[in-house]
Amino acid sequence: MTPVHRPRRLAAVGAGTLITALLLAGCASTAGSPGGASTASGSAALAEVVGGASQVRVTLDSSGAGDVCTMSSSRAKAGPVTFTVENRSATGITELELMSDQRILGEKENLVPGLAAVSFTVTLTGRSYQLYCPGASTELQTFTVTGTSTGGGNESVQEELATGTAGYAAYVTQEVDNMAAGVAALRRAIDAGDLTAAQRAYAQARPYYERIETDVDGFVLSGFDATDNAGNLDYLIDMRASNLDPAVGWHGFHAIERDLFGRAAITASTRALAAELVTNVGRLDSLSKTLSYKPEDLANGASDLLEEVQSSKITGEEEAYSHIDLVDFAGNLEGAQQAFAYLKPGLTLIDPALASSVQEEFSTVTELLARHRDASALGGYARYTAALREQAAPGLSRAVEALHERLATIAEKVATA
Amino acid sequence: MSESDDRPTGSAQGAVSRRGFLGGAGGLAASGLAVGGIAGAAGGFAAGYGTPAPAAASAAEVAHPFYGSGHQAGIRTEPQRYTVFMSYDLTTSVARDVEVLLARWSAAIAQLAKGLTVGSVEPHRPDAVGVDSGEALDLGPEGLTVTIGFGPGLFDERYGLAARRPRHLAELPAMPSDQLQPALTGGDLSLQACADDPQVAYHAIRTLTRMAKGTATTRWTVTGFGRASAGPTQQTPRNLMGFKDGTRNIVDDADYERWVWAGSDDQPWMTGGSYLVARKIHIATETWDTDRISDQNAVVGRTKVEGAPLTGSREHDVPDFEARDASGQPVIPATSHVALAAHENNGGVKILRRGYNYTEGIDALGQIDAGLLFLAYMRDPQQFITLQTKLGRVDRLNEYIAHIGSAVFAVPPAARQGSYIGAELFRS
Repeated sequence: MTPVHRPRRLAAVGAGTLITALLLAGCASTAGSPGGASTASGSAALAEVVGGASQVRVTLDSSGAGDVCTMSSSRAKAGPVTFTVENRSATGITELELMSDQRILGEKENLVPGLAAVSFTVTLTGRSYQLYCPGASTELQTFTVTGTSTGGGNESVQEELATGTAGYAAYVTQEVDNMAAGVAALRRAIDAGDLTAAQRAYAQARPYYERIETDVDGFVLSGFDATDNAGNLDYLIDMRASNLDPAVGWHGFHAIERDLFGRAAITASTRALAAELVTNVGRLDSLSKTLSYKPEDLANGASDLLEEVQSSKITGEEEAYSHIDLVDFAGNLEGAQQAFAYLKPGLTLIDPALASSVQEEFSTVTELLARHRDASALGGYARYTAALREQAAPGLSRAVEALHERLATIAEKVATA
Repeated sequence: MSESDDRPTGSAQGAVSRRGFLGGAGGLAASGLAVGGIAGAAGGFAAGYGTPAPAAASAAEVAHPFYGSGHQAGIRTEPQRYTVFMSYDLTTSVARDVEVLLARWSAAIAQLAKGLTVGSVEPHRPDAVGVDSGEALDLGPEGLTVTIGFGPGLFDERYGLAARRPRHLAELPAMPSDQLQPALTGGDLSLQACADDPQVAYHAIRTLTRMAKGTATTRWTVTGFGRASAGPTQQTPRNLMGFKDGTRNIVDDADYERWVWAGSDDQPWMTGGSYLVARKIHIATETWDTDRISDQNAVVGRTKVEGAPLTGSREHDVPDFEARDASGQPVIPATSHVALAAHENNGGVKILRRGYNYTEGIDALGQIDAGLLFLAYMRDPQQFITLQTKLGRVDRLNEYIAHIGSAVFAVPPAARQGSYIGAELFRS
C-alpha cells in the first residue's frame, strides 16, 4: 500500500468544526436563499395526521427559477412524520434529506422524474429541522416540529452508531493482538530456519493487517517528522518494492516475502527483518489501543479498504513473490464488511435502502471471491497467477467497483458533526 | 424532439443556444448564474465557477433539448464533431434496477445537455463524495446529445419484458466477411454521446457509466474523433480512406418516415423510435494508402477529391449504373461500394448513416489502428442486413476493411418532461 502520512485521528477531530463552517458557507451562497435555512416552502399550518403520522408531501419541480423543492406543510406536531417525495420534473435534484444539527435523520435517493413517489417516516420531537434538497435553487428549508415526543428517532440513530463504533474499536484491537501473535509465529519459524513453516506463517499473519490497514495507515512514531518514512509504521510494516523510499530501505512483511518466496532462503537478514517486524507490530498494538472512532471513520475506512483491493490486490502488486493476493483481498474485504456491519444498525435507521444494497453488493463480491477458495493453497485461496488474474480480474474489479461506489456514500450520512 | 428535429433544414436542428434556453426559462438571466446554480450543491466553493457568458451565442452554447414528444436527439440532429459510444451488459436480475437506471440516465442527460453538472462536484460535507467528476465544468453544452438504445438482452427472460420486445429487435445474423470479435460485439444497453467538444462527450459517458455501477457494466466502446457523415447543411465529411462519406444520406421527411422511424407495425411504445446498427469497421489504412488512385476510385465508385460518381463530375450528380465504357464494362464497376450500396440497386432500401472516424493508437504489428464507427439508424435492421449481406459478399472494399465489432439496438422515442426513456416498458 502507499504510505499515507496523514494522522487519521487528528484529521477526524478537526473535521467537526470544519463541517459547520462549510455548511453555513453552503447556505449563504445558495441562490435565492440568502438566509440559508430560514425559508420554508409549505403552508405554515400543521401537517395533517393520518394513521398516527403527520403527512408531508414534498414535490420536486423544474421552474423558471431552477429546480425547486416544495413541502405541503412546513410544520408538524411531535411524533411520527411521513415525508412522501415525488419528482415531477426536476432533473437537478436526485436526493433529499431530513437533517437535525447536520445529522441525517432520513433520506431518499434516486428521486428522478418519472419514478413513483417514495416515502420515509421519522419520529421527531419539538425543534427545528432542515430539509436538504441538494441541487435545488433553495437547498435548505426549515421544518418545524412542535410539542414533545417520546422515543425520538434521532437519539436511537446516535445510540446505534455509538454502539457500532465501540464495537468496531474492540474488533481492531482484537485483530492487532492476533497480528502480534501471527508475526511472533512467523519469527519463530524463520529463526528455526524452516522455510515451509515460515511461508505458511507468512500467509497466516497477512490477513490481520489487511483487515485493519486503513485504520492505522497514518501512524507516525513520536519524534519523527510526518515526511520521514523511518517513523511511519505503515511503511515499516507493509511497504512494497514498488514504493520504496531509498533513504529508509526495505522493511516489514514484503521484504520478508521476497526472502521466503523470491529467494526461497532464510538468511541473517531475514531473521533481522522478522525481529524488527515483531517490534513494529508491538508498537502498533499499543498505539491501536488508544484509537477511538467516529461513525464516518468506519465508513471511510471500509471505503479505503476497497480502494486497496482495487489498486493493489486485483492488480497482483501486493504479493509479488508469494502470489497470495487473494488472501489479502479477502482480508481487505472482511475488514470492510466488519466496519460496515458495525454501522449497519444505525445506517438502517437513516437509509434502509442503501444499507440493504451495500449488503447485497458485499454478498456479490464475497461469492465471487469464494469461487477462488482452495484449501490446499497457501492462505486458503488460489495462487494469483498471471493466468488467473487475466481470467478473474475483470469480474472481480467490476463487482468491487459497484460495491465501492455505494459504500463511498455512507460516510456523509453517518457523520456526526 | 419532433417539433424541432423534424425540420429538414436549418442550422443546428432542434437546438437552442444556451442563452436562448435560459432566456426562455425566465429567472436565470445569465448562463454564469446557471453554472453557479448547478454548483449550488457545491456550496461556497462554487462561487468562482460562474463566469460571465460571452456576448454572442457561440457553438459551445448550442443545447439540444432532451425532452420532447417525438424522436430522441442524436439521430436526426446534425452530426456533432465527436462521439463516445458505449455498449453495456446488464448485470442485475431485477427489473426495478433497470427502471431506476433508465430514469437516472434520462434526468442526468437532460442536465448534461444543458451544460449543467449531474450533482455536486465539490460537496460541502467533508465526508461526501462528489457526484459529478467535474471535467466538463466551464465547457458549455457543446451540442451534446446522448441517445439511449435497448439491446435484445433487455427483453430476454431476466426482466419479464419479452412481451414488449420491439418487433424487429433480434441479434444480427452472421453475414459474409464478418470478422467480429466477441469483446466488441453485443450489449443490452447503448449510449451514443455526441458533442462538438470531445471532453463533453467523454464526461457524459463517464458520468452515466458510473451511475450504472451495480446494474450494468461496460461491454465495448469506441471514441470517434471526427464525424464521417453529414447533415443536410453540412459539407460532406471524409472517412479515413480520404473519401467523402454519406453523400447520399437520408435528408427529407418522406425518407425518414419510410426508412428511419419505427413503423405502425411495431410495438406502440416504439412510435417515434428507430433501430441502431453499430459496427466497428477496421480500415487497413496502411495498404489502402499504397493503392493506386485509379483503383481506389474504382473500389469506391467515386472520385476522391470531388466525390463525384465515376459517371459524373460533381459530388451530388446521380450515379448512372447503366453507363458503359468503350469496352462495354460498367463505368461504375458492379463490385464498387457505391454500386452495391445504392438504393437503386437494393429495392430502394436506404439507411441513415451517422458514423464517426476512430483511431486507437497502433496495433500489435505497429500499424495504425483506425477505422470507422459505423452508426446507422433505420426502421428495421433488416435494411442493414440486406445491404451488408450483399456488400460482405462482393464489395471490393472488403480487401481494405473488416467488420470487427457489431451490435443492434432498438432506440425508443424521446421522453416527455417528467418521464424517462423507456418508461412505457415498466407500466403495467
